[in-house]
Amino acid sequence: MRAKKYQIDHNSEFELDLAPLLAVMVKLVPVLLMSSAFVQMMIIETELPQVVQEAIQRQEQSKDEKTSITLEMSNAAGVKIVIHEKGQNLVDSIPAKDGQFDFQTVHAKLQEVKKKYPEIFKVDLRPSGDVAYENLVKLMDEARKSRNQTKFPVFDSQSGKSVETEYMFPEIVFVNTLEG
Amino acid sequence: MRRRRYQPNIKKNSTFGLNITSMTDMFTILLVFLLQSYSTSDVEILPVKGMRLPSSNTPLNPVEGVKINLTKDKMLIDQKEIATLSNSDFERKDVDANDSNFILPLFQELDKMAKEMKDKKYISEGRVLLQADASMPYHTLRKVMYTASLAGFPQLKMVTTVGQ
Repeated sequence: MRAKKYQIDHNSEFELDLAPLLAVMVKLVPVLLMSSAFVQMMIIETELPQVVQEAIQRQEQSKDEKTSITLEMSNAAGVKIVIHEKGQNLVDSIPAKDGQFDFQTVHAKLQEVKKKYPEIFKVDLRPSGDVAYENLVKLMDEARKSRNQTKFPVFDSQSGKSVETEYMFPEIVFVNTLEG
Repeated sequence: MRRRRYQPNIKKNSTFGLNITSMTDMFTILLVFLLQSYSTSDVEILPVKGMRLPSSNTPLNPVEGVKINLTKDKMLIDQKEIATLSNSDFERKDVDANDSNFILPLFQELDKMAKEMKDKKYISEGRVLLQADASMPYHTLRKVMYTASLAGFPQLKMVTTVGQ
């Protein structure tokens, strides 16, 4: 007797059972909803000078006169870049345009300053009381990192070579918080 | 011959297969969207109603710290209201009579935290996460910074939203 030959229909259609997949998804969605962050938040680090720390800093400054950069900011006068070098103050003013701070010019000027003083990474920030928090953050952004791919040399003590970085003044200190 | 009334053939206990393909499609899209916004950060920062944070291009992720929220009308520490503001400035009752920059309830609360939660690293290091409204003037922020600094919290982290 010859064995019966089964015929397989390769073109047959069948319905995939999606119910278990849907069940998994229904459970996953609330879990992910609970741990989702719809607004991504970041932080800006600033060190506040403590009374003792400030005194130590002042002592250090008096022993060895170092170059320091201060950013003065007020709604009336705009932004002033003050470079204190060898007992003298070099002031570069960037006035406000139509009542708004000219952050593009501030950035360009800060790039020039960084090119001149590549070893300085810290700036002192001295805003006046009327400056809005939003504008302070914008100024800090402009000072922190170079925007247009401009890079600055930094000496890497570990490799003993000079490397390039986009960072200009990442360390920003509010110097007038403790003033009366 | 009597005519029989037409009766449709309804099976009362019949089952039918629900087409869930479109629903699965929808859930797949939803799942991808939620996976994109999934937060792996262990620090939870809750937004405060009516507060608009400034945007920044800072690359730093939030770290743990004492959360101070400064809205146009109140100041909160870890969601607990401690002082009130009017015209974006602290009310006289919350400011020390001898020092106009010293916010008394803020100092008391931070001092209490420093004593009670010594074991927490962010307390011992003096870390503060400041969430302030974008329109807040610096003279009000300065009072918070000044008081926090005097209370032994000199590490200020400003919370911002991601921007250009």
